[in-house]
Amino acid sequence: MRTLLLLLVVLAIVAPARALTWMHRGGGDPTLKNLLLSAAPGDTIVIEGTVAEGALVIEKRLTLWGRPGAVIDGLNEDDALLVKADSVEVRGLTFRNPRRSNLDDKAGLKVANCTGARIVGNHFDHCFFAIYLSGAKGALVQGNTVQGRPGEEESMANGIHLWKCSAARILDNWVEYHRDGIYFEFVTGSTIERNTTMHNLRYGLHFMFSNNDAYMDNHFERNGAGVAVMFSKQIVMKRNHFLANRGASAYGLLLKEINDGEISDNEFVDNTTGIMVDGCNRLEVRSNTFRSNGWALRLFANATGSSFRGNTFAGNTFDLSTNGSLMLNTVEGNYWDRYTGYDLDRDGTGDVPHRPLGFFTLLVERQPYAMVFSRSLFVALLDRAERLLPSLTPEAMKDDRPRMRPPGTTAKVEKPAGTVMARRSVPSSMLFAWLLLACSMPYFAAHG
Amino acid sequence: MGKVFKYTLIDLARNRFVLGYALLMLALSQGLFLLEDDPMKAMLSLVQVVLALVPLIALVFTVVYLYDIQEFTQLLAVQPIARQSILGGQLLALATALLVAQGFGLGLPLLVHAPGPSALMLSLSGSALVLVFAALGALIALRQREKARGVGMALVLWLGFVLVYDAMLMWLMFTTSDYPVEPFVVPLAALNPIDLARILVMLEIDLAAMMGYSGAVYKSFFGSAAGMAMAGAILISWVLMPTWGAFRVFRKKDL
Repeated sequence: MRTLLLLLVVLAIVAPARALTWMHRGGGDPTLKNLLLSAAPGDTIVIEGTVAEGALVIEKRLTLWGRPGAVIDGLNEDDALLVKADSVEVRGLTFRNPRRSNLDDKAGLKVANCTGARIVGNHFDHCFFAIYLSGAKGALVQGNTVQGRPGEEESMANGIHLWKCSAARILDNWVEYHRDGIYFEFVTGSTIERNTTMHNLRYGLHFMFSNNDAYMDNHFERNGAGVAVMFSKQIVMKRNHFLANRGASAYGLLLKEINDGEISDNEFVDNTTGIMVDGCNRLEVRSNTFRSNGWALRLFANATGSSFRGNTFAGNTFDLSTNGSLMLNTVEGNYWDRYTGYDLDRDGTGDVPHRPLGFFTLLVERQPYAMVFSRSLFVALLDRAERLLPSLTPEAMKDDRPRMRPPGTTAKVEKPAGTVMARRSVPSSMLFAWLLLACSMPYFAAHG
Repeated sequence: MGKVFKYTLIDLARNRFVLGYALLMLALSQGLFLLEDDPMKAMLSLVQVVLALVPLIALVFTVVYLYDIQEFTQLLAVQPIARQSILGGQLLALATALLVAQGFGLGLPLLVHAPGPSALMLSLSGSALVLVFAALGALIALRQREKARGVGMALVLWLGFVLVYDAMLMWLMFTTSDYPVEPFVVPLAALNPIDLARILVMLEIDLAAMMGYSGAVYKSFFGSAAGMAMAGAILISWVLMPTWGAFRVFRKKDL
């Protein structure tokens, strides 16, 4: 008897009821709501066509699999789909019409207080919030497309929204025309990789109070205010592209109160401000490229202990600006295309320091409308004078070891035959320097 | 007027200064494009060269040339030709020669190395500057009898437009910075043809920075059709008013 009982127990453990696969065609009988109730944990439900049954809730471990063209329509009732069980997988579905409410955040797909949700390859068409993870652990959000509609961003909430989550992976998603593309608040130990966020009203990516996260290889373009990382610790930001985030308060990357972050190998192109550093400590900014930005780097005086090494600054209107005279950071070993020094020992670093902060930069910082004098001869002369004999710019604001070439390019640049060898010297600026010296000679002669 | 234009143009074509101007511009722009790795950077250096050099050369050359052909003008004036036609033909020939030289020296390299809207804007505003300062030069040359004084005036005028005006404006801006006068700075700057040309080019090149807090003002001012029309109107009136003045002086002038 005891043996039989043991055998039964063992059998029950080793051979549980086989997981079933259910087919559901939109509008068919039984309804998907009933199917979600009656299916056993571990079952798979394959969905075809449009399911318009209003708000759906999953409360057990199920896999929802959409055939091509499968749609879940929330009929503006609540969250179109609410997941409350662990290890639920939702794949290949299109979501639309969750309820729009700014009081209780409703989403196309909400995952609440559970572990190991997998949200893969879905499409979110004009949802209020699209994907909303609240208190989720170890969730995977991969390959989803989230699209609002152009011109309606004001009535949209965030595309992918995470609140109090941990170990989430947000990979290969595409978010467009929402308020924030991807939003993190109190999220730890998570990674964001290979996503694209464009044309969002506010930030392409927004971090608040989220520690130990990493985002890599993402593409942020033409978002209202770029990317903001605020009040977070130990964030790693690598190989991202920040493109054309333009506007008075738009930043490629806005860093506010960030400690111990690492920012490397990113590309900042055509932004009004590439990186804005406000109140950050111990940042490591390395090997980034800043090209054609208005302000490549705005480093506020309240940032401390940060280092900026091996970055490339080319074609920016302003390479660096600051708002005070305090400078407690290291700027060293970068490539500045404005550098006019020389390299006599040919070790690849310039022999005289580079001062990236021009007189005009300070002028515009104090009086933004002075921008109207950008690149005028008068300003160019003042700028040149300030660089030769710094009086207004902070003494410590300089790069003692400026590179002669952008990092990554070797000394001998191989050029196709027929073109002239690249040279580093800048004839026009040298000309200006000599002109200025020549002009100031009588002054020195008279007053010296 | 046609004949005067033709013979003045033939004379200008043989003028070493015009040829030198074309070659200088060619050497400058070609050299900048070849020496810089980044065409955008070469373009920025070129902008500063064009904004400073083009007005100076147009101004000084017009003044000097009009003094030089004074005797020829006297000869023409005794013929049965209307004075308007004499001056009109001469000025037209001058403008044509300078524009052709500039098109060869600046427009061509721009077209080859950095075709695009910013190159177009740079050549257009460069041409506008040539016309404006040739007109100003004509006015100076006709009002001032002495050549040395005329050239001196041209130099002072150039310095005023290229440096002093900006310096004064900046001083004004900072002394009155307690009052909300900033929006007036843009129209005031736009009154100076060199500043206006610079802003127009910058709106193409420094677009990212121009989208900033203050730049948005300029963008909305000059980016719109109305702003563009206004910029064009300002430049055209800078050409027409001195020309009109020159004609007025020349009509009554005792040659």
